[in-house]
Amino acid sequence: VDCSLYSPGQLNTFFSKKTFVRCVMVSTYTSLVLFFIPWAAMQDSVRGDGKDVADYQSFALSTQTSLMIVVSAQMFLDTFYWTAINQFFLWGSIAAYLAITFTFFSNGLFFVFTSSFPFIGTARNSLKQPNVWLTMFLTCLLCVLPTVAFRFLHINFLEKIRKFTRFQKYKAREEGQPAPAPYRPPPRRVSTRRSSYAFSHSQGYGDLVTSRKFLRLKRRPSLFGRNQSPLVENQPQHYRTITEEAEESQT
Amino acid sequence: MMASSYKDEDGHITVSGSGAAAGAGGGSLRSKKPENTAFKQQRLPAWQPILTAGTVLPAFFIIGLMFIPIGIGLYVTSNNIKEFEVDYTGVEMSSPCFTCSQNFSWNSTKPCTCSVPFHLDQPYESNVFMYYGLSNFYQNHRRYVKSRDDSQLNGNEESLRKPSKECEPYAKHNNKPIAPCGAIANSMFNDSLELIYIDPNGTKVQIPLTATGIAWWTDKHVKFRNPGAENTNLTVVFQGTTRPVNWRRPVFQLDSDPDNNGFINEDFIVWMRTAALPTFRKLYRIIQRRSNVHPTLPRGNYSLEVVYNYPVRSFEGRKRMILSTISWMGGKNPFLGIAYVSVGSVCFLLGVLLLIIHHKYGNRNNAAEISH
Repeated sequence: VDCSLYSPGQLNTFFSKKTFVRCVMVSTYTSLVLFFIPWAAMQDSVRGDGKDVADYQSFALSTQTSLMIVVSAQMFLDTFYWTAINQFFLWGSIAAYLAITFTFFSNGLFFVFTSSFPFIGTARNSLKQPNVWLTMFLTCLLCVLPTVAFRFLHINFLEKIRKFTRFQKYKAREEGQPAPAPYRPPPRRVSTRRSSYAFSHSQGYGDLVTSRKFLRLKRRPSLFGRNQSPLVENQPQHYRTITEEAEESQT
Repeated sequence: MMASSYKDEDGHITVSGSGAAAGAGGGSLRSKKPENTAFKQQRLPAWQPILTAGTVLPAFFIIGLMFIPIGIGLYVTSNNIKEFEVDYTGVEMSSPCFTCSQNFSWNSTKPCTCSVPFHLDQPYESNVFMYYGLSNFYQNHRRYVKSRDDSQLNGNEESLRKPSKECEPYAKHNNKPIAPCGAIANSMFNDSLELIYIDPNGTKVQIPLTATGIAWWTDKHVKFRNPGAENTNLTVVFQGTTRPVNWRRPVFQLDSDPDNNGFINEDFIVWMRTAALPTFRKLYRIIQRRSNVHPTLPRGNYSLEVVYNYPVRSFEGRKRMILSTISWMGGKNPFLGIAYVSVGSVCFLLGVLLLIIHHKYGNRNNAAEISH
């Protein structure tokens, strides 16, 4: 039974007020960084050969490119399973952005549709400057690092800290009652060929159910331990392989 | 025997008589099943990134350690650039250009000149770049930015006679089309600045200024083209058009050099590249270096001769002249250096903090386990 679809709803992870406030805070911070870092870096700056780089078109281009990279980085962080399709689309969108930018800023389109493509030459002139690249790199890093740090803390430590403090309190209070099950660290990812890009993650248990295994009285390891219910942990699926003695005919 | 019914992957419910029979289901049922490829059975190999301590902590440390030297390098480079600014708006009564700024009128035939003395403490080596800077001048106002006709500036004959609607109200004057049309061209900066070096004997030496090579190559050779064929007389080509309202000379008299006249005049091109911020500087002239022995601008007294044509007092703007040397990262801008150093240190400290948290709470697993 595959339950990871139900947990966002049950834990109300996507549409709560807390999530909204967090989203607004992150967006405000990102917007401020995306504008003010290029602004401060462009104040009175010029190119390596003395010519202009603080013009409206170059400023727009550097802000726009930083934004694209930040958004792509967020998507990279949010993608759980990197299949070939994901790789193609995620890297492809950055490549498409660069291709489209250089096309829009090229000589050819300027000659055909002159007033619609006035940004001619801007990409060639400003993206050659190390100044501009350094500014974009700084902007993207400033936007992405807080998210990474927060997520790292959340995934690895908040659960542990909460459980540990809860356990300490429990232990201090009750001596005789049985202790709760110990916390086991999340199991190392098993290299799995299951990816989660659709609702049904696994083959299902139809084969298992229709085989005659249930008639035999063997004890089987439980599929889900108490602390490993995906309902509680809301983690990507980890599967333990179920050994089968004889291969049924594959359908 | 077991009868079971189960939902197939495409939602087709089948009832099978036995386990063995299920595999050999009828030919018509099998055709509805998706193929057993990795893509359709969702078995594509997948890679899953997980943010563990082993990846995130080294990443923070590496970023911190990388950024700090980069920041220091940028800051040192910026500090080595020499820059000097002279504000010649003439706001105070004691300023040499005060009378020029007060007595400005559009119709005056005799231009007002003023002379601003200044002193350079250090010699400037290699090429020195001379900029004019304006403050409180919003070249990034949307209506202003759109007020130009790029086809006309590209040498299109049709647009020369019929400027686009975007140039209104600076498209026609006295029933003649304006070349170049639009508010950006109309407000072109037209002060003339000259540099005089006063050597210790008292003799005045005029410093040679280069007026070409100040605009982007793509602007000068692709975006801006004079109408008509090459080497035709520009006076003839621009017949039937009139100069912009605020200009004193028409566009085909901007420079005697035919390679710098008309729409491809580099001062004009530099002005037409609208600035992003209300306080900006634009390249005016280049002072070429003389030799490796003598500095381009030796230490001493100088004088800036201004032909004051450009009124900025009405919108409380300021005008200044800036002399600056250049490095690989451009002009003097310490912000990037300082930003890199601070971000690097914050990253490093954050990495240390995370390491402490990881060390303190990460190893408590063993203490929490209790045997049954």
